[in-house]
Amino acid sequence: MSAGKLSGSSSRLQRRRPSGRKALLATLMLVVAVASAFPLVWMVLSSLKTPAESMQVPPVWIPHTPSLDAYEKVSSVVNVGRSMWNSLVIASITTAGILITSMMAGYAFAKYHFPGRSLLFSALIATMFLPPIVTLIPLYRLVGSIGLNASLAGIIVPNLANAFGIFLMRQFIAGVPDDLIDAARMDGASELLILYKIVAPSVAPAIAALALFAFVYHWNSYLWPLTVLQGNADAYPIVISLSRLLSYNRGAMNTGLVMAGATLAVLPPLILFVFLQRFFVDSIVGSAIKG
Amino acid sequence: MIQRYRASAGIMLAPAVTLIGIFILVPMMLTVWLSFQDWSTQTPFASASFIGLDNFREIFGPTSIGRDFKAALANTAIYTALSVVLILPLSVAFGLMVYQHDVPGGTALRTALFSTYMVPMIAVALVWSKLYAPGEGPLNQMLGIIGIGPQPFLSSPRSALISIVFLNVWQQVGYFTVLAIAGLTQIPGSLYEAAKLDGANRFEQFRFITLPLMRRTLLFSAVIAIINAVQVFEPVALITQGGPVGSTSVLTYHIRRVGIERAQGGLGSAMAVMLMLSLIVVVCALFALANRKDQE
Repeated sequence: MSAGKLSGSSSRLQRRRPSGRKALLATLMLVVAVASAFPLVWMVLSSLKTPAESMQVPPVWIPHTPSLDAYEKVSSVVNVGRSMWNSLVIASITTAGILITSMMAGYAFAKYHFPGRSLLFSALIATMFLPPIVTLIPLYRLVGSIGLNASLAGIIVPNLANAFGIFLMRQFIAGVPDDLIDAARMDGASELLILYKIVAPSVAPAIAALALFAFVYHWNSYLWPLTVLQGNADAYPIVISLSRLLSYNRGAMNTGLVMAGATLAVLPPLILFVFLQRFFVDSIVGSAIKG
Repeated sequence: MIQRYRASAGIMLAPAVTLIGIFILVPMMLTVWLSFQDWSTQTPFASASFIGLDNFREIFGPTSIGRDFKAALANTAIYTALSVVLILPLSVAFGLMVYQHDVPGGTALRTALFSTYMVPMIAVALVWSKLYAPGEGPLNQMLGIIGIGPQPFLSSPRSALISIVFLNVWQQVGYFTVLAIAGLTQIPGSLYEAAKLDGANRFEQFRFITLPLMRRTLLFSAVIAIINAVQVFEPVALITQGGPVGSTSVLTYHIRRVGIERAQGGLGSAMAVMLMLSLIVVVCALFALANRKDQE
């Protein structure tokens, strides 16, 4: 509503102003958008260049004869299929776990009254602000001592619950009418069934947003997998396999190879984002405002 | 009835609380405990032996351990401050660009800005290392067009850290732009109407309405930006390895090198504790500052 008012007033305002302001603003916006998109566009273009083109000074901007050779070469240096699969497994299972644990805990914090609720909530939320490096050393040892190091499980299990998810779910579930839940209780539904059948559909957009956030975050995550895997190449997610292209990163000749690898790793999260950015944006806005 | 829901609360909370307890809260307490111990990361926790404040004396001492840690702490502080100082004003400026209605294309701009936040940091690091390349890199070529000589970027100790700040800002600013937009939508349009009736120009409206009412958003953004900035790892681990001459050695990289790679778990934990304390102090100072402004 306030946005509507603002737009009405500003369109009235600009009629009295010289159009130079608008031209300047449009130019600025274009510059910002181009600067923002440029590195990724350049990445894709470079991945299609031949090694000779990559080395040219001044640089070739658009490849003359786009070729997919670099992508083939990436597959010969690192096991792309296996790494993509590992990333998919890590991101999917972690996301599923986060959704379940976050919805359950978010429901409890939003709809139950129990002693120590706000204290427990604060303690959990505080972990949201803890940089992972603070716990990395003991966590590495802990995960090793329960026999999960150097495996996909070691990457996944410690991340199956997080404070951000609980926070987000509590914010949105709090908005579900109590009457709806009470009516289901009258009908004798169990709490888990209510969560699944009544609450979850009511907060579907928030669940979608959390799922996307979690998936992208854990697809991109690097520090923990690198630490826990200890060089077990079979379990490498794509971002770690990508870092093995490092040795090819020195010379300009291999720019195409490195950029092809980067493009492969970027595509899945970026495609998800393009189709579902509305949920991403809504949930950030929601968590910022309601928090 | 009450009893029944108390049991349900326990069931609902158990998975999340157990996992966060075991994998975050317990390790956090272990970090604090280990910071007072002589302990190798390759041995069980039980082999740790209490040495009081020796780890802290060492990481602030005159030996190479102390010099490296203090350098990493200083680099992290510079990196974090620069990131926040660049990201916050840019996010507000970009937020205003997206939120205005004079020129179409705001949503497209938001998409362009926010999409970079989806890119894995490892890919960001690889792409920017090529953008920064001295000879064939496009950035130096573009600078050449506007008459600026070639910059060393990542290869000089004077410019390497700031070059990593730039790639961090590029990746993250879209996220903070969306936060800024969330803040802007909370400002009632009637305030601008009233200000206009009083004859306030655009700058005065921004100065006396937008900025003050954005304070909570900016505080939140600053805290998140700080927490994100101290996590910088991939560009350093992959591209610069802390160099040249230690100029990009930041805490996440340095703590991992000491605590995991060199297996000096006690020393690494003491460094992690110092990072945690520094963050608490900075965040509390920010909140105190914001509260004092609120009272004015």
